[in-house]
Amino acid sequence: MILEVTNLRKHYRQRAGIFPALRSRERFIPAVDGVSFCLEEHETVGLVGESGCGKTTIGRAILRLTPATSGRIVFDGHDITAMSARELRPLRSQMQMIFQDLDAALNPKMRVRAILAEAITTHHRLSDGEVARRIGELLEQVNLKASKLSNFPRELAGGEKRRVGIARALAVGAHFIVADEPTSALDVSIQAQVVNLLRDLQRQLGLSYLFISHDLEVVQLISRRVAVMYLGKIVEMGLADRIARAARHPYTHLLWSALVEGQSKEASHAPLNTRTGAWEPFDFERPVSGCRFAPRCPVYEARGRPAVCTDAATEPQLHDIGGRHYVACHFPV
Amino acid sequence: MGAPLLEIENLRTYFHSRSKRAFIRAVDGVTMAIARGKTLSVVGESGSGKSVTALSIMGLLNAGPGVISGKIAFRTDGGERNLLHDLEHYVTLGEQDGRIMEVSKDEAGWRKQVERIMAEVRGKEIAMIFQNPKSALNPFVTVGHQITEAIRLHTPTKDPKEAKERSLDWLERVRMDSPRLRFDDYPYGLSGGMCQRAMIAMALSSEPALLIADEPTTGLDATIQAEIVGLLAELKSELGIATLLISHDIRVVSRLADAVAVMYGGTVVEYGPAPEILGARFGLKHPYTAALLASRPSAQNVEEKGGLPAIEGEVPDPIDVPRGCRFYARCNRVTEDIRDACARHEPALKELTPGHHVRCWLYGD
Repeated sequence: MILEVTNLRKHYRQRAGIFPALRSRERFIPAVDGVSFCLEEHETVGLVGESGCGKTTIGRAILRLTPATSGRIVFDGHDITAMSARELRPLRSQMQMIFQDLDAALNPKMRVRAILAEAITTHHRLSDGEVARRIGELLEQVNLKASKLSNFPRELAGGEKRRVGIARALAVGAHFIVADEPTSALDVSIQAQVVNLLRDLQRQLGLSYLFISHDLEVVQLISRRVAVMYLGKIVEMGLADRIARAARHPYTHLLWSALVEGQSKEASHAPLNTRTGAWEPFDFERPVSGCRFAPRCPVYEARGRPAVCTDAATEPQLHDIGGRHYVACHFPV
Repeated sequence: MGAPLLEIENLRTYFHSRSKRAFIRAVDGVTMAIARGKTLSVVGESGSGKSVTALSIMGLLNAGPGVISGKIAFRTDGGERNLLHDLEHYVTLGEQDGRIMEVSKDEAGWRKQVERIMAEVRGKEIAMIFQNPKSALNPFVTVGHQITEAIRLHTPTKDPKEAKERSLDWLERVRMDSPRLRFDDYPYGLSGGMCQRAMIAMALSSEPALLIADEPTTGLDATIQAEIVGLLAELKSELGIATLLISHDIRVVSRLADAVAVMYGGTVVEYGPAPEILGARFGLKHPYTAALLASRPSAQNVEEKGGLPAIEGEVPDPIDVPRGCRFYARCNRVTEDIRDACARHEPALKELTPGHHVRCWLYGD
């Protein structure tokens, strides 16, 4: 077990107005609201969900890039939830993140060589010769031409920038990587290159990935297990193939049927997709009591709005339905 | 059926980069046609010239010294018009040894001519929806007011009250929930999907003959994407409007398109009916189309957990366009017989089966 997350919460405080003290109560936005999962060595866990559901926040909280509000994060046998920065430092070299926004993640004023060299020397003191050798090794691993070393990030194509981002995560010797939307913002043909690269690296170096993405097909391809998130909670978790083919939570169904329906013009409308529900921007200020998905849920509607779904006391919790498949729903499909 | 609604012939849109003293060949010889009531979809990677083609049609390109040549014939009840009529008179090219060395352009005259041609067309006959609805809508004006304004500008309905009723009607038709409430909302108060619906309502409210949809679903969440695609499909059968759909998402395209044009490096490499191009018969396709379709995870490679057949290399540079086939460097189907031709000569669009054109040396004779 390389990573174990228990009941992780991350609430952001909402600052409104210039006199917050005058307000009677503070407001919190529960970006991640009680999430538990684990990751085994050499495993890829996919994390899917719509934007704003807290995927990236989980990734950042696990790496302690943002402090968690509560919960426990055990990385490689060490409880890192409350570690000081100094204690955490040696562990930092083992866990890294591939950031979503390529342009923001790479310093525009540094050449590729400097970007990689900085990462290499952050944790290990190496001579210039050794650094150069390591850079050569990394380039080979991510399949990047040596001529690109003297380029600035803006001179690189999207796929090349992504390769630099991956090389930088590998430079410190990380074996657990949070990959935040590594294929979005890339062209289809380049996406395939990056997916293949990540898989090859996993095989060669024995990496473990937390793969955050909203591209369901890619997640299904690359992950062994998938966790589906909705509004800060995991609503379903299990082996990738089971989630794709035998999803039990209505939301997962909705997510996957959105995909399948798009595949062919003649595809019959899935009965669940006929009422996709009113879409509203995520409104965290008004906590939905009970099941968060109920306002959009077709099952809830079909069953005549059962009270158990909206009762604050009976918010559905993840329970095992056999075969390491967990669902948080009162009426699994 | 008759003549197609819009016919693009050999469209070239070049931008001139002064610092590099070279032309950026964003669109380099595009020929396609949109039939009445049909959806033509343009697929391709970023930088392949999809959006520039759309902007050329709309006459929305006037950034810097650029050159547009070719012909865009737009046929309505009022007769046929060339949307690029006389534009070439405003550009003079200085040539030296067959290379264009300098460009001088009468920017003001060019713009005036574009406005003269497009005044009656843009927004009225041809409407466009953009990739990012939030930035395309005016943030200071309520959604309802923006649609009402479009109606009063482009349709005979001039009475404010009547126009408001019509815009409410349109909001309802794009399945906006509680349109009366949303009417007075500002764009920032709406989610991405809602904004896109408002954009569609605004574009359709002038009852155009052609709708250009530039990546209408990118940047939206998976479930919302499906809703917007469903809406576009419903509106298509409801209104019978001709659509030029630009997308890089093959799933969206396969759902909506009647015909598909695949673009690569500024030119159309394959063009024909959607089922033939997106269908499973890989043999009769341009190698790029086949590779593009294969590089999405399919049921089979998800099953086997195998690697994806990726297209190696990067998209070609629009400044230094290769002399032969643009896809030559990344192509995996070059045979010894045609290698020479691939490297040296650009293949022409050839008709394989009726209506299905491919630009590849593989399909020689």
